[in-house]
Amino acid sequence: MRRLASRLVRPATLALLAGGALWLWAAVTLWNATASVPDAPSLSPERFFSSSFLESSASFERFLVIDGLLAIVTLVCVLVLYARRGHHLMRESAAGRIGTGMLLGMLGFGVVWLAELPFGLAAVWWGRRHGVSHQGYVEWIVNSFLGLGSTFLFIALALAIAMGLAGPLRRWWWVAATPLFVGLALLFAFVSPYLAPDTSPLRERGLIADARALERSEGVEGTRFRVEDVDRYTTAPNAEARGFGPTRTVILWNTLLGKDFKHSEIRAVLAHEVAHLAHDDPLKSVGWMALFLIPAAALIELLTRSRGGLARPEAVPVALLVLVVLQLLVTPFFNTVSRRVEASADWSALEATHEPAAARAAFRRLSTTSKSSPDPPAWTPILYGSHPTIMQRIGRPTPGNGSGSAEPRRRSPAPGRC
Amino acid sequence: MEQGVLAVAAPRPVRLVVSDDMERGRGSVFFRLWFALPFLLWLALWALAAFFVVIANWFATLFRGTSPRALHGFLARFIRFAVHVYAYFYLGAEPLPRFDGRPGYPIDVEIDPPLRQNRWTVGFRLVLVVPALILLSAFVGSGGGFNGSSGEVSSFGLLPAAAFLAWFFALARGRAPRGLRDLIAYAISYSAQVWAYLLLATDRYPSSNPLTAIGPLPAREDPVRLELRDDLRRNRLTVFFRLLLAFPHLFWLALWGIVALGATIANWFATLFAGTSPAGLHGLLARYLRYQLHVGAYLYLIGNPFPGFTGERGSYPVELHVAERTPQNRWTVGFRLVLALPALLLVFAYGTLLFTVALLGWFASLFTGTMPLGLRNAGALALRYTAQTYGYLFLVSGAYPYSGPNVAPTTPSA
Repeated sequence: MRRLASRLVRPATLALLAGGALWLWAAVTLWNATASVPDAPSLSPERFFSSSFLESSASFERFLVIDGLLAIVTLVCVLVLYARRGHHLMRESAAGRIGTGMLLGMLGFGVVWLAELPFGLAAVWWGRRHGVSHQGYVEWIVNSFLGLGSTFLFIALALAIAMGLAGPLRRWWWVAATPLFVGLALLFAFVSPYLAPDTSPLRERGLIADARALERSEGVEGTRFRVEDVDRYTTAPNAEARGFGPTRTVILWNTLLGKDFKHSEIRAVLAHEVAHLAHDDPLKSVGWMALFLIPAAALIELLTRSRGGLARPEAVPVALLVLVVLQLLVTPFFNTVSRRVEASADWSALEATHEPAAARAAFRRLSTTSKSSPDPPAWTPILYGSHPTIMQRIGRPTPGNGSGSAEPRRRSPAPGRC
Repeated sequence: MEQGVLAVAAPRPVRLVVSDDMERGRGSVFFRLWFALPFLLWLALWALAAFFVVIANWFATLFRGTSPRALHGFLARFIRFAVHVYAYFYLGAEPLPRFDGRPGYPIDVEIDPPLRQNRWTVGFRLVLVVPALILLSAFVGSGGGFNGSSGEVSSFGLLPAAAFLAWFFALARGRAPRGLRDLIAYAISYSAQVWAYLLLATDRYPSSNPLTAIGPLPAREDPVRLELRDDLRRNRLTVFFRLLLAFPHLFWLALWGIVALGATIANWFATLFAGTSPAGLHGLLARYLRYQLHVGAYLYLIGNPFPGFTGERGSYPVELHVAERTPQNRWTVGFRLVLALPALLLVFAYGTLLFTVALLGWFASLFTGTMPLGLRNAGALALRYTAQTYGYLFLVSGAYPYSGPNVAPTTPSA
C-alpha cells in the first residue's frame, strides 16, 4: 500500500494521470460537440424496397464484407510476419538510420499492398459483375499502384519526423511528434479540396441557387461546390464535404447528377453535405485523430523498446504492426462517432430543407444505385458502418413533427460523405 | 568508364573493329546526307533480298541446327554493308563504303562462321529479340522532335544526336571528336549485334556493354567521373517498388535543386570574377551532383541499395568522384550556358537510353534477381555523362563532358 502510494505521487505518474484526465475531458467534449438525434424506430425494409432488391443487395454486400474481412486478416498476418522478419531488409539500404527506417516503412506498405491485391481485384470483379463498377482490372491495378506513391510519401515524411525526434528525445519523441502530426493533418484537411482530381465547378443553375440558399441558412457562406468525374470507374453516387474556413468545399460525384436522381433528392444530399461544413466536421475529425494519436504513439514507443525504440530502423516494422492493429481495434468506436456525426448532418439537412419525403427518396435511390443493403446484419456496422443504415436514415423522425428533437446544435467533427 | 565489372568471357561472335583516324573532309561532311543516298538505296534493296534469305535461313537452321554457309555468308555480308553505311552516314568514318560489303572499312564488323544454334532460340527468335530491339530504338531513335503546339517531345536516339553534333564539330575542325566517334561506334556495334541475332547469324544475345563494344577504350581521369562498386545483385521487392520508393528522393532532390540553382548563379558570378569557384559553393554543388547521381542510379536500377539523403561521398556503390576546384577560363565561364547546350542535347538522348535500360532491367531483375551487366554498364555510361554535363553547367568542373565510353587509368596519377 505504501509502495503504491509512493508510486502514485511520482511526477511521471502524476503527469500521466493528469494527461489521461485531460484526454478523457477532450474526448467527452468532442463527443458532446455533435448533437445527438432521436433514434429511428424499427421499420420493415419491405415497405420501401422490393424483396428481390433486398436479396440481391444483401448478397452483394455479403461478398464484400467477407472479402474485406479476409483482407483484414491477411493484413494483420502479413504485418506480423513483416514485424518479425522485415528488419532483414535493412541491408538493402545505404542510407542512415532515418533513411533506412523510411525504406522499411515504405516496403511494409508495399508488402501489404501486394498481399491485399487479390482481395481488391475480387471486389472490382464483384462490382463489375453487378454493374456498380466498370473500372478495368489493369486500370485498377495501375491506379492502385500509383496511389501507393502518395502513401509512400506520407509514411516517409511521418517516419522522418518520428525517427528524427526519437534520436535526440529518445523515449519521449511521441510528445513532440504528435502535435506535429496533428498540424500536418490540419494542413492536409485545409488543402484537401484542392487535391481531389478531375473536379469542375457545379454548373446547373437550379442546383447552384439551392446550394447558395442552403449555405445561407446553415451559416456557411463562401462554400465552393464542385463536381467530380467518376463515371469512368463507377455508377455509384456519392458526395463529400472537405476543408474548413476559406477552403470549405462540397464535392458531388457526377453519378449523382445523372437522370437517376430528382432535383429535390440532390438538394437533400447537398443539404447533408453543407450541414457537415456547418458543424465543422472536417476540422473535428482532426481532433479525433489527435485523440487517437496520443495513446497510439505512446504505445508504439512502449512496444518498440525491444527493438531499440523508434530511433532504430529495426523498430519500424513493429511500429507499423502496432499502428495498424490499434487502428483496427478502435474502428468500432470511430464508426460509432461517425454514425453520430452523419445522423446529426441528416437532421440539420432536414431542418434546412423541410423535405423529409425527398430525403427518404434520396436514401432509397442511394441504396438501389449503389446496391448497398438497406438493413445489414447487426454486426457489420461495427467494422464497416461509418454511416447509419439506410433504414435508420429513412425511418428517423423528422424535426418539428412532434416525435423528437435534437439537442441544441453545436459545431461538430468528422468529414462527411453522404 | 570507370572501374566497372568487366566481363571476362569468350570473344563475342560479332565484333566491331575500329581503325578510323577521326579525320573528316569538310566537303564530304557537309554533303554527307546526299553522298549516302545511293548507299542507303542499295541497302534497302539488299534488305529486301535479305528478308527472303532470312526466312529460308530460319527454316534451314531450325531443321539443321546450323545456318547453311551460303545463307550465313550472304547475311553476314549484308550486316557488314549495313555497318559500313551507317558508319559513313552517321559520321563514324570518312571514306565512301564499297557496295559489296567487303571487309576493310575503318569501322568494320567481324562475324564468326556459323555455329550450332539452340533450336528453341531459333524457333522463338522473333520473340526473344524484342527486348534487344527496344534497346536498339533508344540507340538509333526516331530522329526526335519537338511539337511546339502540343508541347510533345519525341524520343531522340543516341546515334542521331551524336551524328548531329559531330557534323558541326567536323565542319569546324575537320575531324570528329574521339568521344562522339566512339559513341557512334558503340551504337553501331550494338545494332550489328542485334541484326546478327535477328538474322540468325549468331545465337549469342546482343550485349549493350560499352566496355566490350568497340575494342580498346581510352583511359581518362576526368575531374568528374564515376566509380562503380556495384555487384549486380538486385532485391526483387525493392525492384518491384523502385519507382515509388524513389518518390521521397525525387521530392528532396527537387527541393535541393532549388538551392543548387541559386548556388549555381552565385557560383557563376564568383567564378567569373575570381577565376575559381569558392570552396563552399564548390562543395555544396559537388554534394548535390553526387546525390543526384545516387538517386538516378537507384531509380534506374544501376545501383541496388536505397541511397542516403545527403550525397555523402563513399556512401553508395555507384559513386561520383568530383575533383578539387581548379581555375577555369573566364570566357568559358561567361558563356557556360551556351557552351553546355550541345552536351545537354546528348544528355536528353542518353536519358532515353537510361529509361530503356531501367525498363528492361526492371523485368530482368525481377525474374533473375540480378541486373544484366551490359544494361548496368550502359546505364552507368549515361549517368556518368549526365553528371559530367551538370558538373560543367554548375561550374564544378571546367572540363567538357566526354561523350564516349572510357576506362579509368590503370596506374594511379602522381
